[in-house]
Amino acid sequence: MTYRADVLIIGAGASGGVAARHLAEHGFDVVCLEQGDWPDRSAFPGARPDWELAIRKDWAMSPNVRSRPEDYPVVHDDSDIEPLMYNAVGGSMIIYAGTWPRMLPSDFRVRTMDGVADDWPIAYRELVPYYNAIDQQIGVSGLAGDPAYPPHDDYPLPPLPLGAAGRRVAEGHNRLGWHWWPEPNAILSAPYDGRRPCVQRGVCTSGCAEGAKASTDLTHWPKATAAGARLITGARVSRITLGPTGLATGAVWLDRSGVEHHQEADVVILAANAIGTARLLLLSADDRHCPDGLANSSGFVGRRLMMHPFSVVTGWWDDQVEGWQGHFGASITSYQFYETDPDREFVRGAKWALSPVGGPLNHILPMRAGNEVWGRDHHELMGRTFGRGASWAIFGEDLPEEPNRVDLDPVRTDSHGIPAPRVSYRISDHSRRLMAFQEARAEESLRASGCRETAVASMIPYSGWHLMGTARMGNDSASSVVNSRQQAHDVPNLYIADASVFVTSSGVNPTCTITALALRTADLLVQHRSEQKVPA
Amino acid sequence: MTPPTSPAPTADIDIHRLTALADVMLPAAHGMPAVSEVKAVESYLPQVLGWRKDLHQPLVRAVDALDPSLFSIDRLSALHEEDEDAYVALTTAVAACYYLSPVVRELIGYPGQAAKTYDPFAYTEWVAEGLLDPVVDRGPIWREVPG
Repeated sequence: MTYRADVLIIGAGASGGVAARHLAEHGFDVVCLEQGDWPDRSAFPGARPDWELAIRKDWAMSPNVRSRPEDYPVVHDDSDIEPLMYNAVGGSMIIYAGTWPRMLPSDFRVRTMDGVADDWPIAYRELVPYYNAIDQQIGVSGLAGDPAYPPHDDYPLPPLPLGAAGRRVAEGHNRLGWHWWPEPNAILSAPYDGRRPCVQRGVCTSGCAEGAKASTDLTHWPKATAAGARLITGARVSRITLGPTGLATGAVWLDRSGVEHHQEADVVILAANAIGTARLLLLSADDRHCPDGLANSSGFVGRRLMMHPFSVVTGWWDDQVEGWQGHFGASITSYQFYETDPDREFVRGAKWALSPVGGPLNHILPMRAGNEVWGRDHHELMGRTFGRGASWAIFGEDLPEEPNRVDLDPVRTDSHGIPAPRVSYRISDHSRRLMAFQEARAEESLRASGCRETAVASMIPYSGWHLMGTARMGNDSASSVVNSRQQAHDVPNLYIADASVFVTSSGVNPTCTITALALRTADLLVQHRSEQKVPA
Repeated sequence: MTPPTSPAPTADIDIHRLTALADVMLPAAHGMPAVSEVKAVESYLPQVLGWRKDLHQPLVRAVDALDPSLFSIDRLSALHEEDEDAYVALTTAVAACYYLSPVVRELIGYPGQAAKTYDPFAYTEWVAEGLLDPVVDRGPIWREVPG
């Protein structure tokens, strides 16, 4: 007899982990299929001498460069930004920076406030209880009272150190009269929930061997499995299955040997990121119910991909600040140019985060701002800059555009022969104006903070960490894929928990909001369980 | 995944030739030693190629393609145009070997990505000192929205 779960979750990353824990703790029988494996922290490269070599190959953020068996290729020949992700329990949280900003009230009302894109069908205030709960589950380090935000609960842990660079830029902003605040980070500043605190090694984006940086393999999956959730790793889903009434019945998946299985469930939750989820919906096309892809009667599946144009502005002081050290993560943030100003040639804005600049290889073979210099001048450059810098990492709000999309590549496949996703994405002229303004202001910031020299890496291609918008949320089923509960309009027992549902991108790192939304979706599923339609 | 840590064989790479190329890329200057002075290539290349096996073949191509007696920074730039993978392998391997040298690390003041301890409540000092006061005194900057 085939086993049927209450809930099948596809993907064990940020949203999948949060949803699984909440549902399992509320008595649901949960099964999760994850194509990656449990991360092996002893293999994380940050404390090893080959760290800067590893992050350019085996620990690259690009699945195409990493090319591990659990990765699938992402075709991006026609994209200004390369999509980045990590496939494992914990998902891309394994390689994210760990900065943990909430979205702002105006982010949910860009049509009303600024006349662009669309409002979300939910408001900031509806997410606040979930933001507060997630902060506690994750163990966020920060300081309440930031005047860039409405007042909210304090964070469970004190802020991480400012560091020498953070302190200097904070003082610089005070001289300019500009906003700054210690960045909230999903990185422990003190022991919490059985985990050790950050040791400021500066290697967060290649895996935190200390376990100080939150990822759901640490914060949620142990509790989810203790509550009865079952997590199957090495399980690559090829399609979601539908029953005769058009309800989802489960998913077909392939194990590491390529053997096909079917997992049945009453409810299916997609949590595979905005590329993986769109890919699966398109792969699940069914001639009878959904010839253009599952849950795609609107035609919006795969559309409106947003990836946040990203620039780095680095400044160098005359003296040492140990610029390779610190959490990465960010020490301080600025929302000075976040909200719309009608005097500018663009609407919306960007969030800045001050980060370390890496070790010697990152200086001489720069992946961000800087020049590659050889010969005698190499040593002059290193002497002038190494250990003396810090970078403003700038994410600009990326307004949704329908041509920016994910579809299926007609040729390339993953290692199981399943069609690869293909990304088409162009940075808009609006984004270019927005980013040029932010870059110029960031240089002013660093000069005012005492930097002698600055450099701009403008809209760097290798920056697609933030994948959003390919199955947008909305009240109108003709122009959206899921409703405000993240339930598919077309398939009432199919939910999407990841950032595919984002209506707009905001200008902040999305993981905090992804997890708050996933917790809300799971909570509403618990509350409305008696009304839930399930297959016979 | 377990990192590859065992040194790679380098018999197919002319170490002297590579060192001569590396000395043009990183010569003695500004108080820093040349690559050959710290024996960076012979000491660390097997380990670097053990960690990054993908660099091996393009590095062989680079060493074969470049004549040390005619090598210059301009020729290095030309290699970038001719064979990008060979260029990346050469620059990455030379830089990695050089900056693994303890002598070089000491000279640039780099101890590696070291673990540090700190007082998580030290923030109370800069808060008490008033560092955030100007930000707080300017008041809220978020926008009220309808709905």
